[in-house]
Amino acid sequence: MVYPYIVWAAVMIVIPMLLILLYAFTAKGNSVRAFVFTLDNFKKFFSDPVFLSVLERSLYIAVVTTVICVLLGYPIAYIIARSSNISSARLLLLITIPTWINTLVRTYAWRGILDKTGIINYGLSFFGIGPVKFLETNFAVVLGMVYNFLPFMIIQIYNTLNKLDENYLYAAADLGATKFQAFLKVTLPLSVPGIVSGITLVFLPAVSSFFIPKLLGGGQYVLIGNVIESQFLTAGNWNFGSALSLIMAVVIIISMAVTRHIDKKINPEGEYED
Amino acid sequence: MKIQKILTAVALSLVLAGCNNVKNTINNEEAKSENAKNEIKFYNWGEYIGPDVIENFEKQYDAHVICEYFDSNEMMYTKLLAGESYDVLVPSDYMIERLIKEDMIQPINKDVVTNLELVTDNVKNLDYDKGNVYSAPYFYGSVGIVYDTTKVDKNEIETKGWDILKEEKFKGEVYMYDSERDTFMVALKALGYSMNTENEEEIEQAYQWLLDQKEKVSPSYVTDEVIDDMANGAKALAVVYSGDAAYILEDNPDMEYWAPTQGTNIWSDGMVIPKNAGNPELANKFINYMLEYEPSLSNTQEVGYSSPNKEVFEEMVNGEFKDNSAYRVRTDNKNDEVFHDNEKLRTKLSDLLIKIKA
Repeated sequence: MVYPYIVWAAVMIVIPMLLILLYAFTAKGNSVRAFVFTLDNFKKFFSDPVFLSVLERSLYIAVVTTVICVLLGYPIAYIIARSSNISSARLLLLITIPTWINTLVRTYAWRGILDKTGIINYGLSFFGIGPVKFLETNFAVVLGMVYNFLPFMIIQIYNTLNKLDENYLYAAADLGATKFQAFLKVTLPLSVPGIVSGITLVFLPAVSSFFIPKLLGGGQYVLIGNVIESQFLTAGNWNFGSALSLIMAVVIIISMAVTRHIDKKINPEGEYED
Repeated sequence: MKIQKILTAVALSLVLAGCNNVKNTINNEEAKSENAKNEIKFYNWGEYIGPDVIENFEKQYDAHVICEYFDSNEMMYTKLLAGESYDVLVPSDYMIERLIKEDMIQPINKDVVTNLELVTDNVKNLDYDKGNVYSAPYFYGSVGIVYDTTKVDKNEIETKGWDILKEEKFKGEVYMYDSERDTFMVALKALGYSMNTENEEEIEQAYQWLLDQKEKVSPSYVTDEVIDDMANGAKALAVVYSGDAAYILEDNPDMEYWAPTQGTNIWSDGMVIPKNAGNPELANKFINYMLEYEPSLSNTQEVGYSSPNKEVFEEMVNGEFKDNSAYRVRTDNKNDEVFHDNEKLRTKLSDLLIKIKA
């Protein structure tokens, strides 16, 4: 009974990927319907420093977002995992409720909050401060990304922490470890798989996001996702857009391989890996 | 655990309600297919039509109209290219030009579309479709600057025109429109060139103009966000389409509209019938209906773009939009131009815009 899944995978995953490959390595001109193979799309990317700097900035923003998500997400996940069943169910619900609403709508809402005439500046005006420019800054873009992707991090870490056998902690205490030592030597290493899958779930959408920088960054600076979007929707250069997507895919595969590698080093037996 | 029970109940009822809807749609589909002969698919811009226009057509002609919406000409074009079948489309001038060139639309039937005579001469017989063989006007307008009269001096903007967008005192106070065509139109017109130029030297100068502007005022590049933001008075100056401007002006009395005399883009959207239309006969009737007084009035009141219907336009200019400087699109400036589609230029300008923003 695997047959239907193979068909599904072929239609939904393999064929689109092959199309991207085909477009990336062919020259423009879909009116002729003849393929001319070329490397020009890649040459264009590597010969113009502007595209590399856009990629660099996208990676930078994505890394910052991911780091903040880990730093914020871990304590929250820890607290939820350590609370009683009922309150942890409630807390998890609170974390997930916002994701029921479309991200675009929620990001749009941040415009109203951060705007010069927005709620925060309105509040600040009572103290004679401002108006402070929040919108159209790096801060706004990172804030938007952390806000949107944090739930994925929390839930991943929570899942591993929740599965953690408490007997390990008793054993550690038995052997004379303080609570802090037990956390450092037992809980933290065992929760690395959760952190790794959290990083994957945050880093991937963050590095290719295009509407968050567009809405909160005021379109003043572009990320790689914006360039890809414009190649498809306005410039009508699907071939260059596909080449960019392919380059992105390679970058992401490399960074995932690196994270996996680190994961393996910390957890050589990988017994907690799903 | 009680809370979980409640949640399950809520979720279940939502699912059931969903099923109910599905059932209803299926019933509707069945009902629809019965008068399938009298049905057209209308592919239009989002929020681009009066509230009762479709309903009245359906009543008058005992027909059914399926509406779909797009938000860029390119998106519409891509769908059409993918083989999707529609009966009436509303592309912009340059896209109509391209569709004619690529033989993707059919001539309208002038015996049916007799209401073309109600249309003002300003938007008839334009370069992209001489004699209106393929298209009937839907809306038209210009591109200009919406400015906050409390921050910007009227005389200054009228003398400086587009160049006011790079005055250092407006740093952080400028919205540009995030598309290569509108961005470069501003720069090229400010420099006194044609917005359709292919001259490398002129394009390079326009590129430098925009870099200089970025240096001096660091403008924000936005699209539809500009409407709400300017209605809230977020910035002093914004490059805006006249119809959106009309809306902003209705909402915020501090705002005014000015299309610089250095010239601007006069654009128009028109109704066309694709080659693969399933019901061209009804499509022609629909186009004819859309040109009538009632639907034209409803459309322009709802959307704020200038109506091609002479009578409606006069009525609006002397009535509802009397003090609205954005509604009355000028047609007497020789510097104004219609945009032409040029694929090579599009790629080049798009690459340059990325460099400017990056």
